[in-house]
Amino acid sequence: MKPAPFEYFAPRTLDEALDLLESEGSEARVIAGGQSLVPMLALRLARPEVLIDLNRIPELSRIRQEGSTIHIGAMTRQAHALASSLVFEQLPLLHYGLQNVGHPPTRARGTLGGSLSHADPAAETPAVMLAYKADMVLKSKQGERIIPADEFTLGTFDTAIEPGEILAEIRVQAKPNEGAALVELSRRKGDFAMASAAARVSLAADGTCAEAHLIVGAVAPVPLRFDAVTDALKGQKFSEAVVREALELMDLELFEFDNEDISLEYRRKIGPVMAERALLQAFKRAEGMQK
Amino acid sequence: MTIGARIPRVEDARFLRGEGRYVADLAMPFMVEAYVLRSPYPHAIIRSIDASEALKLEGVEAVFTAADVPADLGPIVCRIPTHGDLSPYLQHPLAQDRVRYVGEPIAVIVAKSRAICEDAAELVEIDFDPLPAITSPYRAIEPNAEPIHEAGNLAGDWGFDLGNVEEALKSAAYTVQESFSVQRHTAMPMETRGLLASYDRGRNLLEVHGATKVVHTNRNMLAGMLGMSEQDIRLVEPDVGGSFGARGEFYPEDFLIPFAAKRLCKPVRWIEDRVEHFGAINHSRDSDFVVTVAADENGIITAFDVKLVTDMGGYIRTHGDVVPSHAAACFPGPYKVRNYRINTKTVMTNKTPTGTYRAPGMFEANFARERAIDRLADKMGLERAELRRRNLIPAEMMPWHVGTESVKRPTIFDSGDYPAVFEKALAGYGWDAPFEREENGWLRGRGLCAFVEPSGLGAFEGVRLEVDQRGNVTIFSGSSNQGQGHETVLAQIVSSIIDVPVEKIAVRHGDTGIITFGGGTYASRTAVLCGEALYNASHGIRDKALKTASAKFNIPVEELELREGAVWQAGKNEPLITLGGIARILMPGNPEFLKPPSDKNIPDHDGLVVTSYIRGVPGGTWAFAVHIADVLVDPRTGETKVEKYFVACDVGRQLNPLIVEGQLIGGVAQGLGGTFLEELTYSEDGQLTTGTFADYMMPNVYNMPPVSTLVLEDVKPEGNVLGVKGVGEIGPSGVAAAIGNAIADALKSNTGLNILPFTPERVLSAVPTVTR
Ligand SMILES: Cc1cc2nc3c(=O)[nH]c(=O)nc-3n(C[C@H](O)[C@H](O)[C@H](O)COP(=O)(O)OP(=O)(O)OC[C@H]3O[C@@H](n4cnc5c(N)ncnc54)[C@H](O)[C@@H]3O)c2cc1C
Repeated sequence: MKPAPFEYFAPRTLDEALDLLESEGSEARVIAGGQSLVPMLALRLARPEVLIDLNRIPELSRIRQEGSTIHIGAMTRQAHALASSLVFEQLPLLHYGLQNVGHPPTRARGTLGGSLSHADPAAETPAVMLAYKADMVLKSKQGERIIPADEFTLGTFDTAIEPGEILAEIRVQAKPNEGAALVELSRRKGDFAMASAAARVSLAADGTCAEAHLIVGAVAPVPLRFDAVTDALKGQKFSEAVVREALELMDLELFEFDNEDISLEYRRKIGPVMAERALLQAFKRAEGMQK
Repeated sequence: MTIGARIPRVEDARFLRGEGRYVADLAMPFMVEAYVLRSPYPHAIIRSIDASEALKLEGVEAVFTAADVPADLGPIVCRIPTHGDLSPYLQHPLAQDRVRYVGEPIAVIVAKSRAICEDAAELVEIDFDPLPAITSPYRAIEPNAEPIHEAGNLAGDWGFDLGNVEEALKSAAYTVQESFSVQRHTAMPMETRGLLASYDRGRNLLEVHGATKVVHTNRNMLAGMLGMSEQDIRLVEPDVGGSFGARGEFYPEDFLIPFAAKRLCKPVRWIEDRVEHFGAINHSRDSDFVVTVAADENGIITAFDVKLVTDMGGYIRTHGDVVPSHAAACFPGPYKVRNYRINTKTVMTNKTPTGTYRAPGMFEANFARERAIDRLADKMGLERAELRRRNLIPAEMMPWHVGTESVKRPTIFDSGDYPAVFEKALAGYGWDAPFEREENGWLRGRGLCAFVEPSGLGAFEGVRLEVDQRGNVTIFSGSSNQGQGHETVLAQIVSSIIDVPVEKIAVRHGDTGIITFGGGTYASRTAVLCGEALYNASHGIRDKALKTASAKFNIPVEELELREGAVWQAGKNEPLITLGGIARILMPGNPEFLKPPSDKNIPDHDGLVVTSYIRGVPGGTWAFAVHIADVLVDPRTGETKVEKYFVACDVGRQLNPLIVEGQLIGGVAQGLGGTFLEELTYSEDGQLTTGTFADYMMPNVYNMPPVSTLVLEDVKPEGNVLGVKGVGEIGPSGVAAAIGNAIADALKSNTGLNILPFTPERVLSAVPTVTR
């Protein structure tokens, strides 16, 4: 379990990193927190000839608010984002999502950008960003591209990031006045989910649902959005019965994963349960905000 | 008297300070690192191996293949008796012309660093001819299956047939038949295996650090394989981060690393990494049962009729077939059932070879039997504890001869009052206390199981006890220590007899250089066997000290006593002489005793030293135990939460209650891992698909319920002088059984929950449709 030999660079600026990425070509790979890449290197499943370390580039790890937009540097540690009051207040779903990402030690090193770029189908962050309709800022020597979340995650371990590009920043509209929840089922706390559900709910003055978003993760190569369900919930006051009825509209045909240890049939059973729990919890939190 | 004292472990201080010294902490000048090149194929013919490119890589010292070991080197032998001849299935240290599982050693690469070894490994060209892989024992014994070994895939087909099972089945008022499956999983010690071997060619001395468990046996096996004298080899146990039965057996590496060191005349270190560990350490369990249990209309169990199939993997290792053997020998458990029949098939497949793992065969058999008994209770409409109560072996029938044998030793439950312990357990937990059946949509259930657990097996054990000139005491133990707390418990025994504080007693163990013979550590045996040897040796020290003082001061022995590390004359308030003083007198060169006319022989001048070897009791000593658990189940998802867990047992006598409790609680954690999480799975084409901790899930703090224990000291076994029973395996042994029964109770449905581990998906499939 030792990595195959590679050349290592630790640039200090984003420009330097992009230069290296261009000059080293397709043999190069960036390393962020290393929580996914290092095991793959050790198992020799990944064998880049060049490793470009982004950990020494301060400009990539800032969280700031500009107007109603939150800018999150790709190298922001998951632990840092989880502890950030800005995130908790303005992007509560990201906060709740990060609670489910690994464990304190993995969050201390693992980055938000690394998690999004790695694109594990069971990862929470792509579901969260999809729920927020966030924008991914990709940078290369050629300049900048801005990709919306639903076009960013393309499949299992597959994203819109092109060779020569890195994910530099995530831009999200602040959503301070809504309830959010991320609920998942995993074999052990901290493990990747067998099914997860992310929900955002904002309420009208009369306590009915003004807007809601529901994403289910870990059941297909990319997180799935279920607008039919949330459309049906609009204008309603949530109850277990109301939510269950709306969830009848969840198109379980979109679920794809079928493994020996977690069958498609099972995922189709627990997916709606996770969704129900997430919606009810988000609704409760939204009610709490109104009080 | 410090036997029975609840004192913290003396070894903890060094572990907590980070001062433990494990094999990976050791290094030597000119040391090189070894790497074992392993088969990527589950089943293949090796046509050729070409290491020439690998040898050219800078830093590579050597590549050894089967062609480099002596042609007459036999396979690694089995160290215990088996059912029938399993010698055709033994493993050679390096694959000869065929590989039979993914992970089988093919070559050893030695280089300046492990990283260079791994680079070199990619340059070794091996021409394989892949063969179909067999991963199912049922497939393996089909007539047209590819033979994995020339002798065929059915390694063993044997059993017991006691009483008249046919008759009992025919006349039964109730019968239940169920199949149960216990998944392949195994020990995951926090520290993987490792060895550091060095060879002094001039003096022909081979030293191997990193050994554990059965160091003397392994030393002797190594001597045989290397053609060396046993005394020219020393195996040394450093601190060991867990074994649980798996670590410390004689594995291929236990030959290969010393062999490489001897060939190269350089210290060679090999540290197994976790990925290797998954494929190389003995796997375990992997057993299927078909159980028929019969009862009369009064709820008296009249017969067990069992079929057992155990997947042995690609080779038979040092443990032989002890796992299915224990399961078969002990299946009837604590019940007085005289009609018992079992057929056992041990089958070779293209998977990692198997061996023992904490509570070998027992975890499996207890699960199958106790789940079947709950089924029977449901069928009869009899309360589950009541059914067991009616069938427990009564105290007056002890010792109970099951009529079976394992490892050529008869299965004899030597002592205990099972019904009394059972009642105390039920009362201690509040088995009958009512509880809320539902909470926030989750269902609550309660389950129990009863079983017997062997301990103190093995032919002998030995210790030497030495007192130095300053009265310091050292125990040289033939047993070894992988974290169980021997350094504390063994010192407690000595302390209680010669009255020297535990802090003044050092415990040395697991080293063939310090004692001539040693049995080792397995089968919860150290307290029982090493304990007795130490008891004898301590009395030997005491007697020798009194006799010496008596001679020196001319006081009759009867007037002398040993306490506070000194000899006293009765009634005096100053001691006559300290133990250190006695040790000085007994030193061979002590002029005081070289009285003229000088005698070259100086009788009794062999130090204040006593060696004691004791024989084991053939059947060992058996503890009776009860596990009870409360479990919550989400009927919509199959999630489970173990709310509380309880273990009751009679262990005869506790040497240190803190350590007993720790063993039980740690054992429950391991049992929960085997019940809910841990599984070594293979793809159909024979690849191990759980090769890292991302896929092989160990229980963690979130899986751990509060565990309470009720440890009784009611019936002392007569087979050992301290009256102790081993406690190492009582913790895991009943967990799957109790949890399965609790989940079934929560669901009020006893169909399903026959296959381990209980994944949420499996639990959900056991939920009756109406409840959902
Ligand atoms: C024990 C354990 C449990 C875990 N549990 C979970 C879990 O429950 N949920 C979950 O979502 N994750 C989990 N993870 C994964 C963890 O969150 C990783 O940190 C994350 O997936 C990758 O982030 P990283 O910063 O460590 O990236 P790295 O491992 O350094 O990189 C991952 C990949 O992304 C690429 N990359 C990284 N940053 C960029 C960038 N800015 N631009 C372009 N490409 C980039 C790398 O080249 C690499 O291919 C777990 C990990 C461990 C070890």
